[in-house]
Amino acid sequence: MFGEKAVELVKEVNRNKDSLSPYNTDLIEQVNKEICGLIEQNMEDANASIAGSSNTAAYIPTVNVRHLSVQRNLRCLLSYHHNRVRCLRNMRWEFGSLLPPEIKSNLSSSEAAWFSSYSTSLAKYMRSIGDDGGVNLGADMKPPKSLYIEVRCLLDYGKHQLGDGTVILLKKNTRYYLPRTDCEELIRLEIFEHLIN
Amino acid sequence: MDDSMGEQFDDSDLNITEEVAAPTTQDFGLDDINTSDTEALTASQVIELMESAWLNEKFSPEILPHKTEIVDCLLGQISYMEENLENLESNDFQKSLHQMETYRLRYLVTSYLRIRLEKIEMFNYEILKQEEVREEKNEESYLSAGELQFAKEYKENLEQHFDNVLSFWPGLPPDDWKKEYIKPNLHSFVFLKSKTEIEGVIIDDGNEEDGDLVDFKNGSQMIISYNSVSNLVKKGDVQLI
Repeated sequence: MFGEKAVELVKEVNRNKDSLSPYNTDLIEQVNKEICGLIEQNMEDANASIAGSSNTAAYIPTVNVRHLSVQRNLRCLLSYHHNRVRCLRNMRWEFGSLLPPEIKSNLSSSEAAWFSSYSTSLAKYMRSIGDDGGVNLGADMKPPKSLYIEVRCLLDYGKHQLGDGTVILLKKNTRYYLPRTDCEELIRLEIFEHLIN
Repeated sequence: MDDSMGEQFDDSDLNITEEVAAPTTQDFGLDDINTSDTEALTASQVIELMESAWLNEKFSPEILPHKTEIVDCLLGQISYMEENLENLESNDFQKSLHQMETYRLRYLVTSYLRIRLEKIEMFNYEILKQEEVREEKNEESYLSAGELQFAKEYKENLEQHFDNVLSFWPGLPPDDWKKEYIKPNLHSFVFLKSKTEIEGVIIDDGNEEDGDLVDFKNGSQMIISYNSVSNLVKKGDVQLI
């Protein structure tokens, strides 16, 4: 039946709402092929109905069904891409403008292009806020509870400079009591784990 | 933290200006007795306005008129406070309190701007279309200049991306998807608190014949569908909670 593959795409994106699955080039190509095939058939029929005047009305139902299938396929296709873009957008807020390589490899080239231009316009917007040099909207994501928080380092990160200029050596499984602002990004990058007693 | 504490800081001989001390009063509803009369808008009033704008933006389904002046003003205050903080010794007890306060305020501003951005992205087409209409009528735009720029760029990017996706068949009508875009649900229900006496609010239940009227008393709280009160929210007569 027409449209089944396209629905499969939507299901796929629905199954992994929070993570980005690999760009499904195969299935998309199949859907594209289906759409192309349907359009071609429709054009053939349209030409035939113009050329041979006999019984034009007989073509209409099939043409209609094909047309609707094309519409439906397109809609599914766009839904797939739009939801991926939304997911990608959330990742921009989570990871910053540099994506982890394992996510990067799941993108199509067009998505990568979208991501970089999204990053650019977002950065431009952030710079435009306020009078002096803009505001980083990526910081202060959660309402602050206390100035210092307890964190555990999850990997051997090496040297890290704090906001006030001191450099500390981050080792795996060590605990720190640090200013919240210094930790926020590292927590998001999963270098630190926030310990809540 | 209460009023008396804020006052205490002012009395101390450390050189903290009023703007630094004033926002430490956590109860924004209280009048700040420290603030001078000469200022058009006191520090705590700015915060109060920002907080109200933030709550409204957070709970309304559609985007509200921008409050750039308040945001800029508060950002100015924050950086001023931060500058003053630099001059304090790091083991000073006051420093941590004020530092915490700047973080709170920062969260308030950034959260407000983030919510707006999310709406701009989600309802991109709808918002841009409304902006165009407003421009034609010479009405004040809802988006700030920066936000408008961002919205347009977002739209371009998305269209570029979708065009790439659909480029496999050159003759495809590319405009079809633009007709069906995501709109905010204006009929969703909101909690609100009235700030003044308002009479004769028409309850819009999507049924034109029987528009029931309701009166808001000052300080009364309601659950009502957003489109009945959208004008009041924009005018600032009610506060979404």
